[in-house]
Amino acid sequence: MFAESDLLRYVEGDCSPAEAAAIQAWIAADQGRSALLDELQALWRVTGAAARRWDVAGARRRLRASDASGAAPLLYLVPHRSTFWGSPWPLRIAAAVILSLAAALLWTRRPHVAPFREFATGPGQRAELSLPDGSRILLSVATRLRMPRDFGVRERRVELDGEAYFVIQHDSLRPFVVRTPYGTAEDLGTEFDVHAYEPEDGVAVVVARGRVALHGPDGAPRRGLTLGARDRGVIDARGRAIRTRGIRLESYVAWTRGALVFEDAPLPRVLAQLGRWYDLDIQTTDRSLDAERVTIAFSFSAADDALLALARVLDARFTRTGRAVRLLPVVHDRRRT
Amino acid sequence: MAVLAASASFLNAWRAAALAPSAMSEPSLRSVSSVPVTGAARVRSPHWESAFAAHYAALCDYVLRFVGSAEAAEDVVQELFLHLWDTRGPRDALRLTRRYLFVAARNRALKYLRHARVAEAWIARVDREAAPGPDTPEDHCLRRELDAAVQRAITELPSRCRATFLLRRSQGLSYEEIAGRLGVSLGTVKSQMWRAATLLKAKLAPLIL
Repeated sequence: MFAESDLLRYVEGDCSPAEAAAIQAWIAADQGRSALLDELQALWRVTGAAARRWDVAGARRRLRASDASGAAPLLYLVPHRSTFWGSPWPLRIAAAVILSLAAALLWTRRPHVAPFREFATGPGQRAELSLPDGSRILLSVATRLRMPRDFGVRERRVELDGEAYFVIQHDSLRPFVVRTPYGTAEDLGTEFDVHAYEPEDGVAVVVARGRVALHGPDGAPRRGLTLGARDRGVIDARGRAIRTRGIRLESYVAWTRGALVFEDAPLPRVLAQLGRWYDLDIQTTDRSLDAERVTIAFSFSAADDALLALARVLDARFTRTGRAVRLLPVVHDRRRT
Repeated sequence: MAVLAASASFLNAWRAAALAPSAMSEPSLRSVSSVPVTGAARVRSPHWESAFAAHYAALCDYVLRFVGSAEAAEDVVQELFLHLWDTRGPRDALRLTRRYLFVAARNRALKYLRHARVAEAWIARVDREAAPGPDTPEDHCLRRELDAAVQRAITELPSRCRATFLLRRSQGLSYEEIAGRLGVSLGTVKSQMWRAATLLKAKLAPLIL
């Protein structure tokens, strides 16, 4: 029925499924054939990378095609691009007429408010924004950055909600200004990080190179700080300005390299940032945990690994259902007895 | 006059509008990296791509040992990945590991064989084989010694035999291509391959089993 040399076709996978089934029955019927097949398969494993050339790229394409629902876009730009060209002709003409009239009207009644362009990252997403002037902005997780459409014409002003790292091409004629609800940072030639997520934390600016001027929100009395390299300036929720000199930069900007580092940070801050980083909702069940301060570095791709590391540091344990995570203190056996 | 003034101001407005964008082209946005999003996985994270690229061929090879047909082996492995993608979630970090994938692939191969009504004796044979464990440093060391022995054994083959075997195993040519390249018949290629296999097997059997 089969010859021993047919085993080679089997090893290399050249049989049709039906043929393979027949050979399998033939092999299984005899101990010697079975041993011979083992030897041939082992020989093929040690003499080449694979038994045959598998079409990995093709398989990848087929898999992607079968998943047409696909992934949502990684980054979204709000507002969406205008659909002017998609509308019918009469509407477009009408729109053009109205628009030109409106433009003429607006021009006569300056100053007008420039519309904004907004960039946003979701939890677990980071993005890099390259500006035409050569400046770069690295957006951290769960961050929004708004810039007026006339950005860069007279001044460079952005509004930040979240955290971003700025590498700015300094231009004294067109100052670069970062506004947050809690304070404003103005570049004086520089590379710096602005952190402004929560009202209770205010805004924190860390300078890597150059100088940055930091002052409170527009309404507040202007108590400014000038920060140099390795300085960290904070304007807290009550509008107080605090400067710390000679900080360890690494722990504040580690996120730009994909790691999270905390040094002696209050646990609620750590949990909030971990939540944004891994898209989790982390709650503690015990007040005693909230008072903890932790020093810890995360560079895990899996959320569970990060949670395990944190639990180990805190001597706590965690339960997780989807996005919801609960941190519980460990009840020691000693205490229970 | 009013019309003239309006058109002049419109021209001004148009010039300002035309000037403003030219002062600055569009800022460009690109994703830097994405931490695998947990819960509802919204992005196909790098984890998926790397698991597929790293293990697809090895898994096909592994399943082929049980099913004997490349067509069937690819179906089994693709269905495994499809299933993993459809049920993606927080367990992905554990499910996209080498160990999990091999055990899952083996189970699927067994299911396929039962479904294809393959001889019971064959299924029993497959069942006895355990999924491969992780590579240890010792394995690595042994493999290097083995590689050297394999290279030696191949160079000791008769030249015709060696040429045929290398064209097939290291360059991945089909039997027809080899026949054309060496100017021999298809039957000769097949018999040379078989001869190479038996000669190598005799030399290497104590090392590879």
